[in-house]
Amino acid sequence: MTALAPSVVGAPRAMKPRAVSSTRQKAKADAVPKLRYIVVLLAGIFAILGGQLLLSIAVSGGAYEIASLKTDLRGSQQQQQIVGEEISALVAPDTLATLAGSMGMVPDNNPAYIRVSDGAVAGEAIPAEATASGQIFAVTAGTESVVAPEIVEDVFLTISTATALEADATDVLAPQTAEPTASTLTVAEAPAPRFGGSIPSPVTR
Amino acid sequence: MAHQRISSRRMGIALLVVFLMAGLLVSRLVDVQVVRAAELQEQSAEIRTTSEVIWASRGSIVDSFGNDLATDVDRYDVSADPRRVGDFRRDGETVTVMAAMAEIALITGANADELLYAVNSNPEAHFTYLVKGVSPEDRQVLRELRNPWLQMDLVRERTYPFGPVTANLTGMLGRDEPLAGVERKYDPCLRAINGTATYQKGADGIRLPGTTQLVEEPIHGGDVKLTIDSDLQWYVLQTLAEHGSRLGAQYGSAMVVRVDDGHVLAAADWPTFDPNDFSESPVEFMGARSISSPYEPGSIMKSVGIAMLIDGGYTYSEDKIVAPGFYEVYPGRFIKNFLVADDRQLTTAGVLHTSSNTGISVLADRMPKAEATNYFREFGFGEVTGIDFLGESSGQVLPVDQVDVVTRYNQFFGQGISVTAAQMASSYQTLANGGVRVPLRLVDGCLTNEGEFVPEPIAEPLQVVSASAAQQTVRMMETIVSQGPLRNILEIPGYRVAAKTGTAEIATSTGYGDDRVISLAGMAPAEDPEYVVLVSFYKPQTSRVSTAAAPAFHEILSHVLKHYRVAPSSEPAILPPLTW
Repeated sequence: MTALAPSVVGAPRAMKPRAVSSTRQKAKADAVPKLRYIVVLLAGIFAILGGQLLLSIAVSGGAYEIASLKTDLRGSQQQQQIVGEEISALVAPDTLATLAGSMGMVPDNNPAYIRVSDGAVAGEAIPAEATASGQIFAVTAGTESVVAPEIVEDVFLTISTATALEADATDVLAPQTAEPTASTLTVAEAPAPRFGGSIPSPVTR
Repeated sequence: MAHQRISSRRMGIALLVVFLMAGLLVSRLVDVQVVRAAELQEQSAEIRTTSEVIWASRGSIVDSFGNDLATDVDRYDVSADPRRVGDFRRDGETVTVMAAMAEIALITGANADELLYAVNSNPEAHFTYLVKGVSPEDRQVLRELRNPWLQMDLVRERTYPFGPVTANLTGMLGRDEPLAGVERKYDPCLRAINGTATYQKGADGIRLPGTTQLVEEPIHGGDVKLTIDSDLQWYVLQTLAEHGSRLGAQYGSAMVVRVDDGHVLAAADWPTFDPNDFSESPVEFMGARSISSPYEPGSIMKSVGIAMLIDGGYTYSEDKIVAPGFYEVYPGRFIKNFLVADDRQLTTAGVLHTSSNTGISVLADRMPKAEATNYFREFGFGEVTGIDFLGESSGQVLPVDQVDVVTRYNQFFGQGISVTAAQMASSYQTLANGGVRVPLRLVDGCLTNEGEFVPEPIAEPLQVVSASAAQQTVRMMETIVSQGPLRNILEIPGYRVAAKTGTAEIATSTGYGDDRVISLAGMAPAEDPEYVVLVSFYKPQTSRVSTAAAPAFHEILSHVLKHYRVAPSSEPAILPPLTW
């Protein structure tokens, strides 16, 4: 494009001396259409150049957009990974067992089953002993203390805080729900304190 | 005219100058565009072109439910150029190097003094690591420090979300290569190959459009799927830790095997290690002893021996024999029983029930030793199991010509033959499965990165003993749980359980010493066994009899029955008489 422009622009200039050497009348008559050509030509050239410029801006603008979207994608992938790691830490058996223990749950290996079709009970249900072990044992040699991931500690903290808040909330809400519009609803609405109202702590028995 | 001449001369000079300059420009143009074009273009591309590593993820190791046991995550290595480290300004305030290091230490949990030392110890260096393996979360916070000399580079790191739970099986990844377990053995499936790409960037560091060239495609690794149920594995490991430490045992192993397909649902070894941080762990606890350490199993082998004898037609459950107080192998060499010195009138069931060494010697005498050796081999002893684990031991079954007159009897009660816990569990799977040995399975297959599941080859099941021989043996083992001295510990309310205890002497360089391996192997529900459990403790100190392993066995088996919602037994047991 740039190579073409000077040669085209140069052409009318080269003709100028010839126009001067011929009769002025003819030159004057010819000048109007020639000028028109030049204007059209220049306008065309500038339009093309401008178009090309816009196009190139658009393309490089796209590159910026791609770059920023790629950054976003990377960020989202990492966010997903962070959350995934947190989920893994939370569903780890150690965590679940500690949480269950903190809520006062003890393992019971003697379940019984009820057959829905006829209501028959299979197996012998024996309640778990209150002294049943809910302790988490260290399983590694050498490194005896296993450090719980941060997120797990956070959950323990959140649960105990939430329980404390909930216990408070129950007290505050109690008088408000005391005047129900429909008595059946209040049963469902009144928040029962979880974990028997006591605050679970990560300390296990 | 003169005026005209002068002007035309002037014109001529001007033209000459113009032509000269144009010529100069043209020659320069030709030089740049034609003569040195290739060289210059190469140089400029070099300046603008950057190559980047396209990280490929190593495949994950997943349990039977798809939980990640080992997986790749993004981490960042934080580094600095010591020559550039200095105070910097942020929000109009000067941040000293000391303060900057304290910030980094606070976020990453590193030691600020060590960070300072890293930078100060070699101030002329171009590069020093500050903290390795920083999580993306922490990296985000570090970026907000706007510290101009802090550099953070993405790396891929291996993490084991469940920590020690399956460490014995997954093994771990070292700096450059997998070191043990499935990580190493299945490296061809898991391995990833990083790709590279080149692109050109402008002065502002933005990629020039259309310049990215993929030089090498990244190849992600495939996932290895195990048959392990990591929840169960966790429970088994906890039980081992609880009872193992109470017994003062050196180590303990336990296995849970599904009877119908030989899937290993749990294979735990205690103590174990944390694959996320194993630098301090003792090497001897980094493997899977249940698969790689052979031992003489002791009396839990008697169930196998009895099944062999029944299948060979040499005895049956109600067969009446006299188990002598002492069994004389040759003059002066006696086999004796644990605590019993009288002759007793036992049935074959009674022999297994009381774990009578002399009784089983009487029976073993009826079978030629070549036939016995053959049976042992068919049960899978002396060869690696279907697990085909890295470093798996095949144990040892002596060739017939090396089986001496004592070993010939000893083998039937688990001495003079060495086996792994996995082989022992496999033999109980055979008894539980009507005499059909389905080779054990730990790795289900490889899910390639193209999404194709390539299962591990399934080995052919083998009928080792007849269904009748296997079922009679299971009935005999039931008497141990329902009528034996351990019934208070072993019985599981609502279920019929079959089990056999074993206390084996540990061979040392000077014969058999005081140390023992105590084991329990069994299955439930006995009328149609679904799960086999094997528990063993090596060198327990507080109690050296197999009864000490009973609580752990009971806890694991009852947990298995609950965990898999096994229907309680409905048929009453019809058990053989023990004496006559």
